[in-house]
Amino acid sequence: MKARRVKGLDPDSPLADNLQRIVAVRLDELCSFVPRALDPAQVKALHDMRIAAKRLRYILEVAAEPCFGAYALTAIKRTKDLQDLLGELHDCDVQLPRVRAVHDDLRAADALEARARAGGAPDLDPTLASGTPHAEAWRGLETLAIYLEARRGLLFERFLELWRAMERDGFRARLEFAIAERPLAVTPPSQDGNGASPSAVVASRAEIDG
Amino acid sequence: MAKARDIPGLAPELTYREAAARTVSVRAEELFHHAAGVLDMSDIERVHDMRVASRRLRAVLEIYEPCFPRKQLRGILDDVKALADTLGERRDPDVQLAQLDEFASAVKPADRPGVEVFAERVEAEQGAANQALASALADLEESDLRGRLAALAASAAHDDRDAHDDPDPYDVRDPYDDREPHDDREAAA
Repeated sequence: MKARRVKGLDPDSPLADNLQRIVAVRLDELCSFVPRALDPAQVKALHDMRIAAKRLRYILEVAAEPCFGAYALTAIKRTKDLQDLLGELHDCDVQLPRVRAVHDDLRAADALEARARAGGAPDLDPTLASGTPHAEAWRGLETLAIYLEARRGLLFERFLELWRAMERDGFRARLEFAIAERPLAVTPPSQDGNGASPSAVVASRAEIDG
Repeated sequence: MAKARDIPGLAPELTYREAAARTVSVRAEELFHHAAGVLDMSDIERVHDMRVASRRLRAVLEIYEPCFPRKQLRGILDDVKALADTLGERRDPDVQLAQLDEFASAVKPADRPGVEVFAERVEAEQGAANQALASALADLEESDLRGRLAALAASAAHDDRDAHDDPDPYDVRDPYDDREPHDDREAAA
């Protein structure tokens, strides 16, 4: 999935202003996959949403602590949870056809073996189809396929719950607010021993500008 | 997973350009720090750490893309992406084998032969991926990726971009305009 272009980046302007622009675009990109990705059959939308989550997470990992308000750090965790869950789901989507392909290969090999056992007989004796070389392997591969299919369903339900929880918590609005905030520089300790607060105080952009 | 090193002096008011120089220097050093012993298949965490370092470096190259001379960045970014892909191709079977092992331990004994058949195929992919990684690391050594990254970081601190490369600073190239990193899992998982 191609990421959206970020306009207005300027190497000579402040770091935080540039990163704010990138995060805003990446956040919008992530949210644009809803409602499409809420349909379990939309495999591509779910995959693309994971990539969008990954892009948002990466920029937040660079930008959140030095440049933005406190919620940006929380957003890293939410975004990582989302990315991880969608990644596990995607693994099932990728692995399932591979398991089925191996199963089909072995079954085809066993069919050839059964045919070879029949030799020049006019018809195939059913007993020749049992005890083929890979008969034991099929069972495990089918169990694995069932597991992957069932796990995919379970993970999708968890994804829905997670996304709804993020919406309920105001993930988008809070992150949009946080990226407009700037941490205030910590005042160095004065000579009379009064130290500055160990944690940077966050002020809204409006306060700074005002 | 190794924690990312702090970037000294990173602050909101620092110019985007200066932040690019500082960040790329640190992330590049991290990548090479994790290269030691990465081909040792008995310790899969080494590949994981180097892969994480490669994706962190790739991310900052893309995030700070407008701060670098385009032609200089292009080759480096391609190499870092290719390295990240190769590391991903090694990492994916590592993870998959661990999951299959766990699965085989949990299911009934009669189900295990099938899981083992699948695991054998994944092991073959793991071995091939390790060979590909060895080759990729040799190529990067030969092309002096480390030196090129140091030069790139230094170039970011100065406005020496070729005007023909990027005529409009307010309409910069998409920082994510091509291939996805390997952990998109389309190829290997």
